[in-house]
Amino acid sequence: MIRVQHEAFDAGHEQRLMLEHRTDIGAVVSFTGLVRDFNERPDVTALTLEHYPGMTEASLAEIEAEARQRWPLDEVTLIHRIGRLEPGDPIVLVVVASAHRRAAFEACEFLMDHLKTRAPFWKKEHTDSGDYWVSERRQDHDDAKRWEVASQ
Amino acid sequence: MTLSHLNARGEANMVDVGDKAATRREATATGSISMAPETLALLSDGKLPKGDVLATARIAGIQAAKRTHELIPLCHQLALSKVSVDFEIDAESSCVRVSATCRLTGRTGVEMEALTAVSVACLTLYDMCKAVDKEMEIGEIHVDAKQGGKSGDYLRRSATAATATPIVTSPENSPALTLGLASAAEQCVRVKCLAELRERLGVGEASVPLDRLPSADVAGLKQALKSLDDRFKGLEEGRVLCAVNQVMASDGTRLTCEDEVAFFPPVTGG
Repeated sequence: MIRVQHEAFDAGHEQRLMLEHRTDIGAVVSFTGLVRDFNERPDVTALTLEHYPGMTEASLAEIEAEARQRWPLDEVTLIHRIGRLEPGDPIVLVVVASAHRRAAFEACEFLMDHLKTRAPFWKKEHTDSGDYWVSERRQDHDDAKRWEVASQ
Repeated sequence: MTLSHLNARGEANMVDVGDKAATRREATATGSISMAPETLALLSDGKLPKGDVLATARIAGIQAAKRTHELIPLCHQLALSKVSVDFEIDAESSCVRVSATCRLTGRTGVEMEALTAVSVACLTLYDMCKAVDKEMEIGEIHVDAKQGGKSGDYLRRSATAATATPIVTSPENSPALTLGLASAAEQCVRVKCLAELRERLGVGEASVPLDRLPSADVAGLKQALKSLDDRFKGLEEGRVLCAVNQVMASDGTRLTCEDEVAFFPPVTGG
């Protein structure tokens, strides 16, 4: 399930929804990304997230399909928020369910690494000293690259 | 220069638009309402007695645009294909800036609709806030940009600078730009600039006739954009990515008419 939305989400609710009436799932891994009050500058008061309607959803679907090819996954939920968010707000949710834990752990990381480097979202940070668009991070690309080297 | 709403005798006259060709028209208008900083704070915190002020004003603006013909005597009734109303809370000048964009494919311009949307959105803001502040002032209502139609494209001089300040509630705040005298009948490529790139170039959307491209691919489009408008020289600064019809593309990707080409900076979500 893929959603791009303004509204906040409840990770617990999404996970319960996913597991309802299922007894074949042995592992569920959930990752929630939050807005930090420090990043490129130390006093981030808010951020604004922009996306490219249509392409963003398609790109998330593609990343999910790749994860499903690599690991036997039962369920995947990807939720990303857009609009104005404040420190402490949840911004992204990835929940992965599988029969066994290793697949769920790895797929969750794979999804986040690729979401950060491929899905069309852009962050603008607001601080007391002005607003600026966040630059891409080398570390995020290195994180995503490690999945290329590991040939299963 | 003659006034089209007056006939030879100087009487009011509704222009017959039946013989004009239907083309894509778009207009953006802006305005502002200044208020006490305390009122602005209540508004942005959602603590005003009448509830969600901006949501109400947005609906009021959209509704008003659709009913412009009922208010302005010689305006035609139009089937607008798009009306958007956006707000920017400007704490520094203690005001709310309102912008409205109207679009249709038709025979008349839509600047009256955009102006009406802005005016009524401002009036609604006044109504929603007047319990706590009676000194509010509505002002600076004007057309920022207009595309399509016989009189050609128009971009208000100050609007070029204004688009550099983002309206955070809307990802598509910069007025669309028609380059190389494109008319709706011509085969065009539609260009979008997103996020940081949109603000850096000061262009949100543009359309370029396919026959202006030296080669029918992304590289040719970039070349055409740069020769048609200096602002696109910024496409060469920093890392700029490209998608054609929402699929990642490169300089060699072929283009045909009605393709949507988006340029944007590296992604930073998650």
